[in-house]
Amino acid sequence: MKFTLTDTIGHLVLNQPPSNKMTLSFFAELNHLVQYIEKLKEIKGLVISGNGRHFSSGTDLPAILEVVEQNTIVDALGHPVIIPDFLLNNYLSLQILERLPFPVLSAIRGVCLGSAMELTLFSHFRFCSEDSVFGLPESTFNLIPGLGGISKVYHLSGKAKAMELVLKGKTFLASEALKFKLVDKILPKKELIQQSCIFIKSISSGYRKEKKKLYLKNFFNNHDTI
Amino acid sequence: MDRIGWEIRDDIGIITINNPPENYLAKPDFVQLEILKKWTSYDYLRGLMITGTGKQFSGGGKLEHLFSMINAKEDISRKISDGKKVLDFLENLDIPVISAIQGICFGGGLEIALACHIRICSENALFAFPETNHGIMPGLGGTIRSQELIGFPMALKMILGGDMINAEDALEMKLVDFIVPKQKLHEYSFNFLLRLTKDRPLDVIHAVMKVLRNARTLSVKDAMKKETHLFCELALAEAHRRKSQE
Repeated sequence: MKFTLTDTIGHLVLNQPPSNKMTLSFFAELNHLVQYIEKLKEIKGLVISGNGRHFSSGTDLPAILEVVEQNTIVDALGHPVIIPDFLLNNYLSLQILERLPFPVLSAIRGVCLGSAMELTLFSHFRFCSEDSVFGLPESTFNLIPGLGGISKVYHLSGKAKAMELVLKGKTFLASEALKFKLVDKILPKKELIQQSCIFIKSISSGYRKEKKKLYLKNFFNNHDTI
Repeated sequence: MDRIGWEIRDDIGIITINNPPENYLAKPDFVQLEILKKWTSYDYLRGLMITGTGKQFSGGGKLEHLFSMINAKEDISRKISDGKKVLDFLENLDIPVISAIQGICFGGGLEIALACHIRICSENALFAFPETNHGIMPGLGGTIRSQELIGFPMALKMILGGDMINAEDALEMKLVDFIVPKQKLHEYSFNFLLRLTKDRPLDVIHAVMKVLRNARTLSVKDAMKKETHLFCELALAEAHRRKSQE
């Protein structure tokens, strides 16, 4: 991953083109980076995007399965008793991202699948290009989305749609994502990053930072239990 | 007396409200909980569809019936709570439950439809909570379930106003999820359920249903914790499966 800070706006780039696959080291870096960003003083907004044509094709499944197999402590019946730190840390990273005291926006081009889509669901805004493709295909590999994606889709799109998207596991297009309320805006591909930055800047410059921090803190406290 | 039909086709259970022409419900618990539990106890079941015989889904309970039950000093509150238990049981099943709604879907019929996870209706479907026109109100949880789908203002309008809503408006306010031509309703609904579940292992279906339920009933923190746990369980099973295939 690559992180740069220009003019109070942070840019987090998934940087393993062409597919920006989320490997084990990616998740470790993400965890490290969100904790670093959380402590930054001069930042007012964050834009997340993928390097190249795609946002990300999601996790490196065989690697994840191996980690789970090796690090889960199971009881006599084979049910997990202690979950690997790896899985818990991944979820914590996304939670830190969601609770950052400034607006976070995912700018999505190309494919955005599985855990990558879950990552975008934890940002506050999602803008995408017309050619974006989304999907939560985990159930086609006998799994479920494991980073909170099901709950997020449930709250954005409703129970019936969440059930359909997760159980079918089919991909869907930008226009459908907009209809399901999973993205907020569709932009031309060439303007996506630029417009996203302008948007984040426009909502970040209006208030004093202390006030905004307070507002966001209240927001999350009030919405923690639904 | 057999007013509720039951069959299993391609591992999908079909419950039919079978009291034509209006498919009125005899009791608040439209099917006995014990019977429903027995029907759904087959662990190979992948989905459940609820529909009505003939041209209508259900006109709900019959008012005269309710009042005669009260006159006969039957324990109404117990009957109502039995009805609630049945709908709660349906809603909490770990397999998708859909209703295929044709024609009228009033009162208790609408309460049943609202307890389902997905609602598919024909273009001639009509929805209403007529209870307040008769001095009572919906009593099986529909006041709460409808709010979740259509929001407080529309729920208030529908329940207190008691007016009828056609399929198109129902779709727009998200009371239903799909509209299909009436000749194709049953086929479409059944195939929808089949497509949703047929390639999925049962434990994945159960896990997804559990996580979705948790998203509604638990705090975000607890729901996420449970989700990670379920993911871990499935990932373990999948890792073992892949190993054994090598």
